[in-house]
Amino acid sequence: MTFRRKLLLVFALTVFLSVATVAWIVSLVTRRAFERSNEEQTAALVAQFQREFKRNAGDVVHRVEAITASEATTRMALAVSRGTREGGGYLNEAGPIAESHQLDFLEFVDSHGIIVSSAQSPARFGYPENSLANWPSLVSKPAFLKQEELSDGTVLGQFAVRAATVGDQPLYVIGGQRMDRDFLAALELPAGMRAMLYRSTGTLFAPQLLIDASGPMKQAEKLSPLIDQVQKQGHDTTVLMHWSPDLVDDETIHAIPLNGPDDKTLGILLIGSSRRPYVEVKKRIQSAAMLVGGGGILAAILLSSWAAARVTRPVEQLAAAAREVGGGNLHTEVEVTSNDEVGDLAEAFNRMTRELLEQKERLIQTERVAAWRELARRLAHELKNPLFPLQLTVENLIRAREHSPEMFEEIFRESSVTLLAEINNLKQIISRFSEFSKMPQPRLQRVQVNELVGGVARLFQAQLESRNDAAIACQLDLEEGLAPIAGDPELLHRALSNLVLNAMDAMRHGGTLTLRTRQDLDLVRIEVGDTGVGLTPEECERLFTPYYTSKQHGTGLGLAIVQSVISDHGGTINVRSQPGQGATFLIELPRNLDKLRAPVPLTSDVVTRSQ
Amino acid sequence: MLFGWRSLVVSSLLFGMVATAETRPQYGGTLHVATRIAPASFDPADNSQPDSVARRNLSRLMFDTLVVMDHRGHLQPALATSWQAAPGSQRWQFWLRRGVKFHDGLPLTPEAVAASLRVPNPGWNVSAGVDSVVIEREAAAPDLPAELARARNGIAKRGAGGSVIGTGPFHASDWQPGKKLSLSAYEEYWGGRAFLDAIEVEMGRSNRDQLIALELGKTDIAEVATEQAQRTIGNGRRVVTSAPVELMALVFSRDKQSSEEGKQRDALALSIDRASIRSVVLQGVGEPSGALLPNWVTGYAFVFSSDQNLGRARQERSEIQHAPAWTLGYDAGDPLARVIAERIALNARDAGITVQTTMSANPDLRLTRLVLSSPNPRIALPAVAAAAGVGAPNLNSNSIDELYQAENAILQTQRLVPLFQLPAGFALSSALQDWSEDRDGTWHMDDVWLGSTRP
Repeated sequence: MTFRRKLLLVFALTVFLSVATVAWIVSLVTRRAFERSNEEQTAALVAQFQREFKRNAGDVVHRVEAITASEATTRMALAVSRGTREGGGYLNEAGPIAESHQLDFLEFVDSHGIIVSSAQSPARFGYPENSLANWPSLVSKPAFLKQEELSDGTVLGQFAVRAATVGDQPLYVIGGQRMDRDFLAALELPAGMRAMLYRSTGTLFAPQLLIDASGPMKQAEKLSPLIDQVQKQGHDTTVLMHWSPDLVDDETIHAIPLNGPDDKTLGILLIGSSRRPYVEVKKRIQSAAMLVGGGGILAAILLSSWAAARVTRPVEQLAAAAREVGGGNLHTEVEVTSNDEVGDLAEAFNRMTRELLEQKERLIQTERVAAWRELARRLAHELKNPLFPLQLTVENLIRAREHSPEMFEEIFRESSVTLLAEINNLKQIISRFSEFSKMPQPRLQRVQVNELVGGVARLFQAQLESRNDAAIACQLDLEEGLAPIAGDPELLHRALSNLVLNAMDAMRHGGTLTLRTRQDLDLVRIEVGDTGVGLTPEECERLFTPYYTSKQHGTGLGLAIVQSVISDHGGTINVRSQPGQGATFLIELPRNLDKLRAPVPLTSDVVTRSQ
Repeated sequence: MLFGWRSLVVSSLLFGMVATAETRPQYGGTLHVATRIAPASFDPADNSQPDSVARRNLSRLMFDTLVVMDHRGHLQPALATSWQAAPGSQRWQFWLRRGVKFHDGLPLTPEAVAASLRVPNPGWNVSAGVDSVVIEREAAAPDLPAELARARNGIAKRGAGGSVIGTGPFHASDWQPGKKLSLSAYEEYWGGRAFLDAIEVEMGRSNRDQLIALELGKTDIAEVATEQAQRTIGNGRRVVTSAPVELMALVFSRDKQSSEEGKQRDALALSIDRASIRSVVLQGVGEPSGALLPNWVTGYAFVFSSDQNLGRARQERSEIQHAPAWTLGYDAGDPLARVIAERIALNARDAGITVQTTMSANPDLRLTRLVLSSPNPRIALPAVAAAAGVGAPNLNSNSIDELYQAENAILQTQRLVPLFQLPAGFALSSALQDWSEDRDGTWHMDDVWLGSTRP
């Protein structure tokens, strides 16, 4: 990963984390605020319900008292007191009275606790009123909760008991109002809130007993744990209900136990507060956070790109320049655009390249001098050998003229032959030097390397076999289907011939010459191995230096020419050898077939590198 | 003094004339009747319409029967002037009254009578003679004339489109099914024109509305619910009631499936406090009954106990391993039925039996009213048995013992539990004169006339 990308990533991550943190904090604060608001709303609703409950209870008391004080009740109390209840009784008395006073329940009970007339259960006349223990003690008390058993089930209601005393015996009036869906519907609830009522039986949860303002509740079973818990513990409890996988359906349920006069839980009021507003706000916040975050990240990417580019451009320039220097171009310089550390670094880099260039030039000068010295030494050495016989021959001629004129003619003829031979030798030496200086550029064409290698082997086959006392076996190991390369067959042939000649020189007592070819991706490998005397590590290191030779009569130009040819083909040559274990020259040539279409001369820097 | 004597004479004469005018029947006037029933048809043979005393009476205004039953239960000639049974009482011949015409003016013929009787009695072999009709039954039918006195055997000529024409004292001039029936006096009625010119019947009115209409003078005859009879009388209204003609009973939807269920049914019957229900709910009207037919019809109804015996009921209940809860249905439009049903449920609970009142269509047992089909017990008992889903009793003689055994056999099936025998009551306006009715509630409207006194 580049330095710029790393910077970009760090910047973007920073912005993202910042935005996410802000969104989370806002969400947290909002949720807490909502929870607080929800709790306040629930508390307000509970208070409202309690007010409504008390007001309703007050209404029930007032209505029961009005009935108690009515003329019809007085007349009934008088008749009951006198025991003059008519045959028809008061079967249908309670119903119309209850209806006129807007009561759902109304019973007239005599002093013995026997129902005289009942609005809600007319058929109960003559039966004892035993739905509530010790109910006469509730006379003059506020309204209370009671479960009333009807023919179609048991219902919950608010009741009040009053007594109409005419004569000695009281006539009790027990009236009440039903707490049902109508009661729930009458509650004024804020939007998003609802009230539910469960008529407790004291036993396990029964879903049909749970209603809301629209009737029996759907998914009532889900509230079973809450209701069972309230029935057991008898105090307010709040839970969060998940009605569906969708969070907007979540609801906070606050359960309030409704107790009868004996503190037994007769009902449970449940106040549900929808969490839809909160979830929607939360979603909006999340959407906004995503939007802001996304925008922030985008902006961060743009800003980071700009900043990273600004910061990393000098570094990248330095890196590119370093690569240039690594590639050998010491003339590379970077632009100094700032006065900070990066600017200092650029200046130091430029200073370094300048010093490297100076050092290189000095080295080149030094090497050039050394080369000239080596050339001079080699020339002197090469020229000195033929010059010395020339000198001796000329001195013999002079001495023969002076001391043996009769033999001068014969000596002259013999000396002339020697002089011509040595002069010819000098010409050859000069010719080889001239040839090295005139190494031609390769003229590329499609070359089948196996054919090339085979041709070289065939050329030297006769020489290898003619050495009776030191025969050399030639072993060809050519990979089939070797791909052709772009090369100059004449130069490559000369280079391989030089290597074969060197191998033959190294195997004066015979051995095995191995010529091997291999394909490696876009490279073709040629190995020329011998089983001769081998080379020391020092010889291996200096082997390709011009004019260096380990042979007694070598010019030191053979391997230099080979290396020059291989380099001109863009390839490399190395030697692998141990003293006494022969040597193997490894040539790697690129295929370079694409250069056949555009036969451009190899670039100077490549030449430079190969040198 | 002279003035005083003359004045006295004139006053006496005038009073005498007014008094004579008030007691002598007068022709004319329209009688208004309100009913709770709202039949869609008055075809006497239409069994799909609920039976009731009011319907029978309205039917008799338009359709005569071959014979009628007087207030003593004796058969009297009507469209048939005489009748005779062949030995064995399987073949009966009825000679028709001459000169009788249908409301469309066509004469009453034996063929028309035979065709009319075949509709409600498809099992009978009815043939027309020259001036008579012959009815042949597969078994002895000693009570065939009494059967023919039932309103369902009223003689009607059925035309296209469901129209029916009778020979009764009134003919329909306007008919709005279920709502209103207008009747006009039939001038050529064989028994003589009725005093009333017309009768307007408003149907589908609640008992309360009927009494209000009576109070406001908008009707002359109103049905009175059983529990309202005493109060209506107490309010000074003129109320006439029949002998008990309606059996209120619990009818089970199926035969008992086991002896345990029989015990449970027995326990239920014993748990019911009929006396309290009569006293409070029925306001003292009606008779608690353990019998299917009223005592005035059979004379032995008192033999069947109707007393509550909670101890025995609990004992019976305790002998049952598993007593399933029963649903008790009742007519939602009958407020009396609801209270009685709920009271029965309370009584049953005292005996340890769970009975849940319901208005569903398929309860385990239903509180039902069965109208006495005839004052003749040998006709009425099979009708009750049929209503309860019990096979018809085998009655071959006039023996009271046989009748008792048959009724007892029906009760032993425990398909039904008799509760009360209820009368039919009607409140009458003071303008109604010469009102009379039989014990079974049959009106004699041809004698009725309207006086001038109206509220």
